[in-house]
Amino acid sequence: MNRRFVVGKIIGAVVTLAFVLVFNFFLFRVVEDNPVDSLYRGRNLSASQIASLEERFGVNDPIIVQFGKYVRQTAQLDLGVSIKSSRPVSEEIRDALWPTVWLVGTATLASMLIGTWMGIAAGWRRGTTLDTASTGLSMFTYSVPDFWLGMLLLTLLSVKLDLFPTGGFQDAGSTASGLSALLDQAHHMFLPALTLTLAYVGEYAIVMRASVLDTVNEDYLKVARAKGLRDVAIRRHHAVPNALLPLVSLAALNFGFILSGAIAVESVFSWPGLGQETFNAIRGPDFPMLQGLFLFFSGGVIVANLIADLLYGYLDPRVRTS
Amino acid sequence: MRRRLFVGFLVAALAAALLAPTASGAQESGDVTLTIGLNQDLDSPNVTAGFLVSSFELWNLQYATLTDKAADDFAVIPGLAESWETSDDGLTVTYQLRDGLTWSDGEPLTAEDVAYTINRSRDEEWLNHSAVTVNLTATAVDDLTVEIVSSVPDPKLPVMDVYIVPKHIYEPLSADDVVTYDALDGVGSGPYTLENWSPGESWTMVANPNYWGWSDDGPVIDRVVFRVFSNGDAMAAAVEQGEIDAAHNLPASSFARLADNPDVVTVAGSQGGFSELGMNAGAGGIGDGNPALLDKNVRRAIAHSIDIDTLFDRIILGLGRKGTTMSVSPDPSWQPEIPADIVIDFNPAKAMEMLDAAGYVDSDGDGVRETPDGEPFELRYAQRSESVNEPDLTQFITGWLADVGIATTVEVYDDSQLTDVIAFGNFDLFTWGWVPFVDPDSQLSYFTCDEVTYDPDDYYGYNDANWCSSTYDELYQRQKVELDPDKRREIVHEMLLHFYDEASYLVLYEEADLQAYRTDRFTGWAQQPADIGPVIFSNSSPSYVNLQLADGSGSGSDSGNGLVIGVIVAAVGAAGALSFVGLRRRGSADERE
Repeated sequence: MNRRFVVGKIIGAVVTLAFVLVFNFFLFRVVEDNPVDSLYRGRNLSASQIASLEERFGVNDPIIVQFGKYVRQTAQLDLGVSIKSSRPVSEEIRDALWPTVWLVGTATLASMLIGTWMGIAAGWRRGTTLDTASTGLSMFTYSVPDFWLGMLLLTLLSVKLDLFPTGGFQDAGSTASGLSALLDQAHHMFLPALTLTLAYVGEYAIVMRASVLDTVNEDYLKVARAKGLRDVAIRRHHAVPNALLPLVSLAALNFGFILSGAIAVESVFSWPGLGQETFNAIRGPDFPMLQGLFLFFSGGVIVANLIADLLYGYLDPRVRTS
Repeated sequence: MRRRLFVGFLVAALAAALLAPTASGAQESGDVTLTIGLNQDLDSPNVTAGFLVSSFELWNLQYATLTDKAADDFAVIPGLAESWETSDDGLTVTYQLRDGLTWSDGEPLTAEDVAYTINRSRDEEWLNHSAVTVNLTATAVDDLTVEIVSSVPDPKLPVMDVYIVPKHIYEPLSADDVVTYDALDGVGSGPYTLENWSPGESWTMVANPNYWGWSDDGPVIDRVVFRVFSNGDAMAAAVEQGEIDAAHNLPASSFARLADNPDVVTVAGSQGGFSELGMNAGAGGIGDGNPALLDKNVRRAIAHSIDIDTLFDRIILGLGRKGTTMSVSPDPSWQPEIPADIVIDFNPAKAMEMLDAAGYVDSDGDGVRETPDGEPFELRYAQRSESVNEPDLTQFITGWLADVGIATTVEVYDDSQLTDVIAFGNFDLFTWGWVPFVDPDSQLSYFTCDEVTYDPDDYYGYNDANWCSSTYDELYQRQKVELDPDKRREIVHEMLLHFYDEASYLVLYEEADLQAYRTDRFTGWAQQPADIGPVIFSNSSPSYVNLQLADGSGSGSDSGNGLVIGVIVAAVGAAGALSFVGLRRRGSADERE
């Protein structure tokens, strides 16, 4: 892989991140909201209290002054202090990060493995009952809204059958640690992870199936068949590796989105992750929190894209020479 | 072979994982834990920074106040102070603290802590203290005596319901630092103190061994866990399952279902909170409000066209109370009965008659009245984007207005935008709501002429009816200095009847806090106020120390589900492992290319 290709991609990513940094700030100020008004309504605050709150949150400075502060802070990796909780935004993000990565990461991995397998099987045996069943299931789970699927699973497996807790990250107030805490979390994670896995699996299956179908008629497969190789060997060593390429970008993109969590599913299962943090911050509006979260999410997607680009260049020589 | 061993190990680990939760979820043996579900996390445990209802519940338990409020009727009862004496002029109250008070960390709690809290919160205008302490000066006479002097007559005295904070924790914090302090110290003087907070998930409070209010047997409940749900239906399910003992702020749909459960009691608790239809009565003299609303008879005609009964049945599903005049306190005794001769009933025919008489007649027969200037009579209706009831409410109200010949255009705003629109007087009608404090003074003060916004660049007043009346203001000043509670109540009643009669602020309904609690583990849930109030998240949260173990209650509610889950997952894992092994074997048998 030549250096120019790599450097070009990295510069591209940095420029995008800088754009996001600027855009982020103005996006949340398009609507002229004053968090002091909406958060403290009905509190009978004196005029001087309101003024001191506005000063503390910096919402009364001219927009350009606020922007300067924001850029300077962010450059020092300081994301500011949440208006709502008075805690540093970086701390809030850190606390909510682990539950989200744990949940969405597991679901992404599981759905990728299962979806890819389904896609290969369906594409390779196009038109068979297996294909029809797998494609039908994929279309169904792909199109079903994930919060609705979550509510169904919650009602069935938690409320009716009492197999899993109704939500949360672990037993509330649990003092368990080590392995038993991990197992408790796994128990709580089962339903949301199942929901997300089902919701994502269709996408992978459909993309993979289409990609396998593209390779089925390629000349190199005819050659392999002519050599007398068994079907399984052709599929595994000749068809699938070539068909996996589009999946790389899809997977990379989805890994980027792991950080932003799954707002709807996290809400259904009261999962204390970044998705829920986002939802709460919008209601403020908690500007520093929103900025911090969106910067973090954008960073995740940009880095994941960069990795996908580089990986693509490595896997497919045509990309880096063109 | 090694691979198969690995697969076997995986299956065993999975099975163990799913069997385990039964064991890991158990609390330390012998501890009695009460678990409360709610849909709002703490914003900050810091009493100078937080402002959400959830945080007030924490402070109600962690910080005792000089005087407490009775569960039944908010009557003043001893708190940290066991007695008090009021001077003849009513301006000075001398409180006698209980002997031997200590903070939960063992430090003595003295009059010094009390005086420190009151004086510092006044000077630094602490968010949750200053409304009470603004005119007060406190002096510690000795360790057990504190003297509080008010610079103005204050009918709220001797009630002193501000949270007393530990001086030894707060003194080292500067005015700037105190508002960003994380306040996880867990040092308090109330029955339970904060042990641990997992943001977004739960917080745990433990019994304070030094609490002055325990009976000789000590606390019944060792730990109170507050569990945050972002899904109200799941919270209702958790009550049914026994995962939690009580829930606050349930969705109406699940509330009805819970009422059928024999182990669950549902409570539609009233805290005096209400929703209103505000009309722009134009007192500020700014903005572009429709001049028709300056006419009291037009406002009353609009009031006659609104069907309060239907809103009660259809919007709040009969849970709560029908709107009358403004509710100014969770204590319903402040609200007057409306005499039959001033009741503004639902009467569209009368509304139309009044509009005709005021000069608003439909002269071109298009169903919309014309103003005396010949323009179509059209009002703007501001709908809040942040409440689930709003779209339905808008449909009902604009429909009824159309029935009497008033056209409306609906504009949707979020809360902060609507605050601006109202302050600048650029509105005709809006719906919003309030939750009053126990003492009616604050809620009454919002509708005085002083709170009208005359210049939004200078001051945003609270008076969102944009209405001003010298009669009301005069009565307001009188109640503010009337120290005889009965006489004060009479004045307040008179104010509220006048306010009702002027019809610029039409109360639609009083919403209830929908709660539920299980009866199989604890008894003694206390409604505040009696019969109509909530059992948790009430004004001074008396339930927690009142609870007793129910006969035959176990402290745990875990069933043997771990086994079932374990079997299921083990089966799934085994199936996966088998297919994996099968695939590998077939692979190894493949011929070489």
